[in-house]
Amino acid sequence: MRKIATILLLILVSAGNYSCNKYLDLKPNDGIIRDIFWQSKEQLQAATLGCYNAMEDVPSGKTPAELFFVWGELRADMISPGLGMGAEELSFVNYNILSTNTFADWRNIYRVINICNTVIDFGPNVKNIDATLSTAELNGYLAEALTVRAMMYFYLVRTFGDVPMKIKATATDADITNIAKTPKADVLKQIVADLKLAEGYAVETYNNNTFDKGRVTKYTVYAVEADVYLWLDDYANCIAAADKIINSNKFALVPGNSAWFNTVFGNGNSVEGIFELQFDQQILNPYYAMFTTSKRRYIAANNVLSDIYTIDPQKAENIDIRGIDAAVRPSDQSIYKYLGLSDDVARTQDGSYAHWIFYRYADILLLKAEACINSGRGQDALDIISQIRQRGHALSFSEESPLPDDVAGLTDYLVKERAREFAYEGKRWYDLLRNAKRNNYARMDILREAVLNSVPPSVQQSALNKLKDPNSHYLPIFYTEIQNDPLLIQNPFYK
Amino acid sequence: MRRNLYILLICAVAVCVGGIQLSWAQTTGGVLIKGRVTDKAGPLVGATVIEQDKDNRTIIGVATDIDGNFALHISDVTHKLVVSLISYETQSLTIGPKRTFEVFMKPNSRDLNEVIVKARPQVNNGSGLLIDDRDRTTSTLTLNAKDVEELQATTIDQAIQGRLPGVDIVSNSGDPGAGMSIKIRGTATINGATNPLIVLDGVPFETTVPSDFNFSTADNNQYADLLSIAPSDIKDISILKDAAATAVWGSRAANGVLIINTKRGVKGAPTISYTFKGTSTEQPGSIPLLNGDQYTTLIPEMVMNVNGLPLNMFNVKEFQFDPQDLYYYNNYTQNTDWIKAISRTGSVYDNNLSLSGGGDKARYFASVGYNTQTGTTIGTGLQRLNTRLNLDYIVSDRIRFTTYVAYAHSNTLYNYSASANGTGNGNVRGVAAIRAPNSSIYAYNEYGILTPNYFTPASDVQGQYPGTYNPVALANTALNEAVNDRITPHFSLQYNIVKGILNATGDVVFDISNGRQHRFLPQQATGRPFTETTVNQTSVSDYDSYNVSTKANLVYTPDLGDKNSFSGLVSLQSNDSKSVTQGQRSSNTASDELQDPLSPGRSNVAGALLSSTTQARSVSALINGQYKFLDRYIVNVALRGDGSSRFGSNKRYGLFPAISGRWRASGEPFMKKFSKWMDDLSFRGGYGVSGSAPRSDYLFFGKYSPSDNTYAGAPTVYPSNIQLDNLRWETLQGIDAGFNLIMFNNRLNIDFGVYRNRTKDLFSTVNLAAYNGFSSVLINAGTLDNQGYELNIISTPIRTKNIVVDFAFNIANNVNALRSVNPNYPVQSGNTNTNGSYLGLLQINNPLGSFYGYRYKGVYKDADATIARGASGNKLISPDGTPVQMRFNYPAVDYKFQPGDAMYEDVNHDGNINFQDVVYLGNSNPKFTGGFGPSITWHGNFKLQAFFNFRTGGQIVNGTEMSTTSMYGFNNQSTAVLRRWRRPGDVTDIPRALYRSGYNWLGSDRYVENGTYLRFRSITARYNFNRALAAKLKTKNLSVYFTAENLLTFTNYTGQDPEVAVRGEGINQMAIDNSTTPPLKQFTLGLSATF
Repeated sequence: MRKIATILLLILVSAGNYSCNKYLDLKPNDGIIRDIFWQSKEQLQAATLGCYNAMEDVPSGKTPAELFFVWGELRADMISPGLGMGAEELSFVNYNILSTNTFADWRNIYRVINICNTVIDFGPNVKNIDATLSTAELNGYLAEALTVRAMMYFYLVRTFGDVPMKIKATATDADITNIAKTPKADVLKQIVADLKLAEGYAVETYNNNTFDKGRVTKYTVYAVEADVYLWLDDYANCIAAADKIINSNKFALVPGNSAWFNTVFGNGNSVEGIFELQFDQQILNPYYAMFTTSKRRYIAANNVLSDIYTIDPQKAENIDIRGIDAAVRPSDQSIYKYLGLSDDVARTQDGSYAHWIFYRYADILLLKAEACINSGRGQDALDIISQIRQRGHALSFSEESPLPDDVAGLTDYLVKERAREFAYEGKRWYDLLRNAKRNNYARMDILREAVLNSVPPSVQQSALNKLKDPNSHYLPIFYTEIQNDPLLIQNPFYK
Repeated sequence: MRRNLYILLICAVAVCVGGIQLSWAQTTGGVLIKGRVTDKAGPLVGATVIEQDKDNRTIIGVATDIDGNFALHISDVTHKLVVSLISYETQSLTIGPKRTFEVFMKPNSRDLNEVIVKARPQVNNGSGLLIDDRDRTTSTLTLNAKDVEELQATTIDQAIQGRLPGVDIVSNSGDPGAGMSIKIRGTATINGATNPLIVLDGVPFETTVPSDFNFSTADNNQYADLLSIAPSDIKDISILKDAAATAVWGSRAANGVLIINTKRGVKGAPTISYTFKGTSTEQPGSIPLLNGDQYTTLIPEMVMNVNGLPLNMFNVKEFQFDPQDLYYYNNYTQNTDWIKAISRTGSVYDNNLSLSGGGDKARYFASVGYNTQTGTTIGTGLQRLNTRLNLDYIVSDRIRFTTYVAYAHSNTLYNYSASANGTGNGNVRGVAAIRAPNSSIYAYNEYGILTPNYFTPASDVQGQYPGTYNPVALANTALNEAVNDRITPHFSLQYNIVKGILNATGDVVFDISNGRQHRFLPQQATGRPFTETTVNQTSVSDYDSYNVSTKANLVYTPDLGDKNSFSGLVSLQSNDSKSVTQGQRSSNTASDELQDPLSPGRSNVAGALLSSTTQARSVSALINGQYKFLDRYIVNVALRGDGSSRFGSNKRYGLFPAISGRWRASGEPFMKKFSKWMDDLSFRGGYGVSGSAPRSDYLFFGKYSPSDNTYAGAPTVYPSNIQLDNLRWETLQGIDAGFNLIMFNNRLNIDFGVYRNRTKDLFSTVNLAAYNGFSSVLINAGTLDNQGYELNIISTPIRTKNIVVDFAFNIANNVNALRSVNPNYPVQSGNTNTNGSYLGLLQINNPLGSFYGYRYKGVYKDADATIARGASGNKLISPDGTPVQMRFNYPAVDYKFQPGDAMYEDVNHDGNINFQDVVYLGNSNPKFTGGFGPSITWHGNFKLQAFFNFRTGGQIVNGTEMSTTSMYGFNNQSTAVLRRWRRPGDVTDIPRALYRSGYNWLGSDRYVENGTYLRFRSITARYNFNRALAAKLKTKNLSVYFTAENLLTFTNYTGQDPEVAVRGEGINQMAIDNSTTPPLKQFTLGLSATF
């Protein structure tokens, strides 16, 4: 009896004495908590690579890799609806975009930005703990985060105009704030500042071709700079940035022979590539379902082969190599760039890991050409265009010969050449808009022509009317964003 | 035999308290006692002879041999010698100097006759404090085993549905293993967890399933599965509703407490009970859907209506009807009733055998049950084996051990779908309802000959897996099997430190559950090509959960004389639950027969390997006291401290007080004059606070998780959550008052209660503006009130010798209102510019669940009708003289309404249907819920019992009607669309078909209906054989019964089932009914016998 009483008492006392706090301290196993993260350079690298991974892999919603295509191509004139195209995408084609359109949901772009912010905020502290991390290495990682963040904001500012800008990480619930939109000029200023910083920090090479193409190097920074400066109509800086890449002699155009498609798109990471989002067997790209199944969402517009690449009526085998079985597979009008391993071998679904090419050497050349056109160097521009055309075996039917001082003619020629070179690489809409908006929308006709080409006649008139308001060139803010943040105001055209 | 049983019991007890040495085992030495036990017939074999000390603790014992002789060494001659045998009166003899005993046993007459014992029932609020039922200071309801028995209930939640006021239980589906959501007194919390805490035999019963089990979210189904207690093992179920009662249980009790006690053995000869239930379940007719011919007329019309261009039959051969093309012609000209093709009559067989009994020292209840079910959808079923052993061993008057050991093995077959339990998107029943009825179940080959293969094209006009597939093929060939083993040993020790005054109890409960889910999706179910990872995809996942709860109670009940009484309780509790999940997945195994992930196949699929571990702990301490003065004034005070591992160290502990009281007015001297007809009148009131911890673990850590894949061959991590530094306890403050009135010699019993439950710092997941980098976060969102009243009447209007009529009625009203909301919380949800969406608005001091939309006015019958009209009915004319056509959402959309389009009321008469025409449409909260039913007993052995339940008020969005009449895609539609608008002049209520365009199914009152219903829930006829007849059949009791459930529903609601659970996220929730079939009709034949 006494023994039992003693034991009972012991249980009670020990329960009372047991340090509750220690008992209640439990840590998760499926991740590393912040207090013990940011300790080593390996962790820093893994966190930095998370910025790229977030463009391919998202917890819910559409991946940035899909949005880059949709935003860059759907409102332009080279796409036609496939059977599987949903009402939301159709409304992009018809210029009838509402704030409920899930393709206007930018959340996964901001998710990338937040991951970049996390690296930028917490990364520098690693150096205090891990002595083997050199300043140069740390700077390299910071440059990657800064550049990816700048690119994401650049996508946002080109697509939405004014956007909320958050350059501090959201790590705890105390960091959650409501912020208003930042004017696009200020966002662009931040982008330039980030790139300037990254330029000094970034590495020249990782001594690993996959990393050199798939991660940010100095040349990636220059490429983004060239693109951003051109958007800002800062031609001198654009040319300067492009020249840094050209003069490095590290990049070249892949020769336009039978291996061209396989080298540049099938395998990727070619000598022409500057920055390519790396997909592989582990992480397939979203493009297979978009372009290839019987209910594919997009097909090439009818006139792409005939009007953009042109056809040789006498000699059918004389083709622009960038058109038939490169951009478009004529048999079913499917968009082939992401489906093909080579011009005659298509990928299977489990092999659908064509890279998303952000920048390649040809792009840099043509960006420079566009800057040249607008800064009185028309002949340089014509030379570059001719270089690109020769590599692509462009047909004489698509050749134009504007005078070197005919800015409008040169611009038209260049925009068409970019369409041929970068078909379905997510650049078309931004090319059209950049050239249309220059000099206070002096070339609105560029957009108008695109609408006439692509919008079905039933809604063409209303699309043309909407186009007159430059605010309509930017997407609406997704409606839940407006609901979730009282400070956010819907973009002017969609109020 | 008896001795063996004793030894067995003692071994079990010894194991559970490991290390406690029982002193009676010291048999050497002492005084030798001999003797013989006889009755008038001669010597008695197997009588127990024991030495007992003054506390009636057994020191040593033996059994008599074949001649009735015994001999034993006793340790102390001051002890007693106790001789016992079943059916004989126990004899207690003093030893003194005597060394030889001749014991003559007298038959025990009490065992043979019926004994009527009248005692006041004592209720246990689960904490260990026993309180007279009539002295309760809180709102508690109890349901006894009898009430539950007749119902064809396989789980407890089904059993209590509709039987208790203020408890709203809504079924999720009728499939085997499907659960229900239980709500006690409205929605106190909105983070999805509305299920109450379950306290089984005095200790909380945890029902958490790891959230990533089987690659998908756990839900109510698992909740029900885990609660695998056989209803026939249940002694009673009590529900604690008010905050003062739930405060005793603290953090997990904010949604109410369900206390379940299982049966225990009683002293007496062994009683064997057997119950059998056999049920036939039927899927009632669903909404009538188009047949193949009607469908193939609709689709081309729908496409053509969009822009006047016909459907391209060369691409869409499903509608080509080319008799030359035998493959398409035969496979797509059928009239298949897909719902019928996947349905069948289900059955449930439940067998339960139990044995109970015991002697002075040990009592036992053992049961074994076997339940087998086949669902009404092909491919679903359940098999479950339950066993339970409840043992009480009374060491002495001061020490008592109790053990409860329950084991359940279940095997559930679900249909295959995206979510683990066969529901959710792409589930078989859902796909069958939309599958094109012109397609064939079995394939015709290109020669037009029917083959035995399922017709599963890789894709067709409706799309491909998982959007559409051949549901018959999937139901028959795909595998989704969950096997669960659960053992819950519970050991309890009670020790009277000071007899009758200070009592200590200690409880340890282990709950070990192992589950395994195996899923396989064969190629023939989806028809997809082998390059895809959905083909022959197989996954296995296991989870092991391990849960230990402890409870140490000290109860103090001093003797304060007749006028005062007090009982006090100190309780320390802890809980530790841990679960480990792991799983494998692979695809493209070589054959449909290779269904295990270890068969060689493609292993680099998403989630090929999965594993996770979570652990949560809580500790709490409770002080509770109840004081009673003069049997009239009773007060109960409790203070509870809780600690949870789900908060960071700065927010970890919470302190929650409660106070309640009762005044028995009928005991006052001035009430004496009413005592002729009034048995009892008492008033109660209470106030209590309880706190809730969030449902998820580790929220206060910022976590960096590795991604599923590498980038450029190198590993990556990403921040996977927001570190929640500011999250506080959600607290529920309840105020409660009520009275009990018992009149006319217990023939009328009225219980009335009013309450207000205020939930402060409500947990809610808010959607974040995306620039924060995360889409949602858990915050303390605001304050929500639930208030209402409940009335429960139990009456016996007729009580004669031959007939007794009882009538029970309960009704409850609950109103919720939002009192404050976090400024970060979005107050608006939904959008009225897109089809199918309603606008939800949160307004302070208004109830949740209100929704807004357009008013539906029918269909524009012709071009003239589409002209906009002003307030006075005159046509609007534009400045150039042309009439203005009605438009939708000008200027953003600017769609001009065409003849045949849906007509919405232009509230402001501006010729433009937009957000300005949106009006209030309704609210999902029911006004009253309740139930009633008579029970008639005829001659004591025939009993007829009926039960009805009802809900009044509350608007339901008929989601089924919306999706089956939208004519927006290639899904099959209801036959209502046969009266659609087709040509100018048609006057109808169904707009024209428009493929993926138009605004014909905007959120409007067209789909909003009143959810009032009265359901004839069940009727039971039971016949108890009278004793003489039963004895002839060698039984003590024998009864048979027949029950029919869900026979009739009276409602104006046109959908399938007005009993809809509120769905939706967070505060913005509304009742949307997407069910395609009404609740199952069940017919049960049952038998119960006691031997």
